[in-house]
Amino acid sequence: MTGLVRAELLKYFTTRMSWSMPLTMFLVGAIFAAVQGLVLVLIGEFPGSGGEVIRPAELFDDLTLARMVYTGAIQMGYLLALVLGILAMGGEFRHRTITSTLLSAPRRGRLLTAKVTGLVLVVLVNGVAFVAGSLLGGGIMLAVGDAAVFPEPGQLLGTPAKMLLILVLWGLIGFGLGVLIPNQVIALFVGIGVTLLIEPLLGFGLTFVDQLKEAARYFPSQATTSVLDLFAGVDDATAQSMGSADPLTWWVGALVLLGYAAVMTLLGWVVTTRRDVS
Amino acid sequence: MNSAAADGTGVSVRGLTKTFGSFRAVDDLTFEVRPGRVTGFLGPNGAGKTTTLRMLLGLIRPTAGEALIGGHHYADLQHPLQVVGAALEATGFHPGRSGRDHLRVLAATHAIPDARVDELLELVGIPAAARKRAGDYSMGMRQRLGLAAALLGDPQVLLLDEPANGLDPEGIRWMRGFMRHLAREQGKTVLVSSHLLGEVEQTVEDVVIIANGHLVREGTMDELHGDPAVLVRTTDAPTLAAALARAGIASAPEDQPGSLRVLTGDLARVGDVALAVGLPVHELRPLRTDLERLFLELTESPEHRNRNLEVTSTTPAGAAPAPTGARHTDIPPPTGADAPVPAQEENR
Ligand SMILES: Nc1ncnc2c1ncn2[C@@H]1O[C@H](COP(=O)(O)OP(=O)(O)OP(=O)(O)O)[C@@H](O)[C@H]1O
Ligand SMILES: [Mg+2]
Repeated sequence: MTGLVRAELLKYFTTRMSWSMPLTMFLVGAIFAAVQGLVLVLIGEFPGSGGEVIRPAELFDDLTLARMVYTGAIQMGYLLALVLGILAMGGEFRHRTITSTLLSAPRRGRLLTAKVTGLVLVVLVNGVAFVAGSLLGGGIMLAVGDAAVFPEPGQLLGTPAKMLLILVLWGLIGFGLGVLIPNQVIALFVGIGVTLLIEPLLGFGLTFVDQLKEAARYFPSQATTSVLDLFAGVDDATAQSMGSADPLTWWVGALVLLGYAAVMTLLGWVVTTRRDVS
Repeated sequence: MNSAAADGTGVSVRGLTKTFGSFRAVDDLTFEVRPGRVTGFLGPNGAGKTTTLRMLLGLIRPTAGEALIGGHHYADLQHPLQVVGAALEATGFHPGRSGRDHLRVLAATHAIPDARVDELLELVGIPAAARKRAGDYSMGMRQRLGLAAALLGDPQVLLLDEPANGLDPEGIRWMRGFMRHLAREQGKTVLVSSHLLGEVEQTVEDVVIIANGHLVREGTMDELHGDPAVLVRTTDAPTLAAALARAGIASAPEDQPGSLRVLTGDLARVGDVALAVGLPVHELRPLRTDLERLFLELTESPEHRNRNLEVTSTTPAGAAPAPTGARHTDIPPPTGADAPVPAQEENR
């Protein structure tokens, strides 16, 4: 088993993606966290839904503000993690390396386990680059805007950890998708399309249906937001005015994401064990 | 012969069948491959060779029957690369990964050291090229890399799918010698597929010939060649035939006037008989079976007509299929390098 995991890691580290992906993660983290910082701290005011002017710096305590800035890039981050997950399996089909891979690891269940393990490690490596970028980009903006860069470090530390968790979970969702849809291009299309387009539209649509309002909380992107637990320590009224409508507890959100990943990987596993490779 | 099988790992295919939808790609195929010999696995395009090999390797699930290696299913082998080495057509390489790294990835699964990887790259003749990105490889280099991958675990059994494709003449010669070496000196089981009998005839001892998924012939190369025969040309064939008959040698008239087909391998004897009856010998040479023709007869006989080339009911009437039109497309175009060896002498 360790041999199989080693092989999976070697696959990742012997292509250009081994450095281009962490670099992208770092830059995306830095840029989007910086933009978030620019909006929340430097510009510092924007119109609220009722026409009033919202000044986040006044509305939130330092801790919440820092959390919001540092996690500014999370959506881009988990999309990249999704891509990493899809490529883990999709690349094998695309480049027809699946034949050699299965010859060296004919038990497909073991192969999938090794791939999942390898992917978690690869996403963690990339996640560290992403978090580092986010801290740098966001930190600079917080410093420039005279806000606290590391308020209450003890509590703030949870945020990067949760960001890593989110990336790993999305990587696994992507893996499930890649296993289920062997055509890498279609899998990427579906994964990114659903996340960026269909899911938000559906979530928005659901807000008009009373019985289904609750359901949107369990959607991947909203579950992700609840994992971040941005408003921990903020009173509910303020949190709700910021559009955080009754989120899931952070670990419930994590379990929901894990559920998506597990269901897709299991479906994919069932399909994979019977699939002909020719 | 069965004693040899006891020492090595053989391959056995029993009642193997695979249908894709309603199409029977492999149909109740049964054959054995013995250790210490090179076995040619022959059949025209689309006969089902690759599908059979993929079933042996657990890549395709048989619809019925089994394909076993040393009595085991491939997936049940503890360290498969150390038992079976396979080079299949349409095996891909990640274009951005070097050939050497491709092998290192495979080696990692079996804890095979990098030194072995380099040793094999040396053996197949691409030590330097293997450090380049595989996307830039020529057909022949990919073929060599695939062979190196098959040899990685020093396996007992080698399954090679059209290994000569894309190799230059030097490469083909090396490949033939290497396969013989593996089988004869190292006692390995070598199954090599080809759609050209002539390509493998000097290399293989046994043949398994299939057409349209069916077995059409299984046996040794000697059996395929049949009994030895001699062609003799003289001025009075009937007299010579009678003299030969008195000497206990059967013969039959050949197409050319004055020619006889004599059923013996002994050229001198035929000459001596002619001399004894005072007949001149204008030509005297061994007749060898035209294997290429035999192969065509076996695989293209009416009941084995290539199903892939038949006009189907959906084809407009009168539209004859192009010779290669219905072939599936994963066969690389032939290059000059893998042209068949020149046809041997005529016969019959
Ligand atoms: N996955 C598949 N789905 C449908 N048909 C298939 C599939 N794989 C193979 N076939 C068909 O099965 C037949 C046998 O194919 P196979 O590749 O085994 O032939 P082959 O003997 O290796 O031929 P070649 O000499 O051209 O390599 C062909 O007609 C092919 O079109
Ligand atoms: Mg083939």
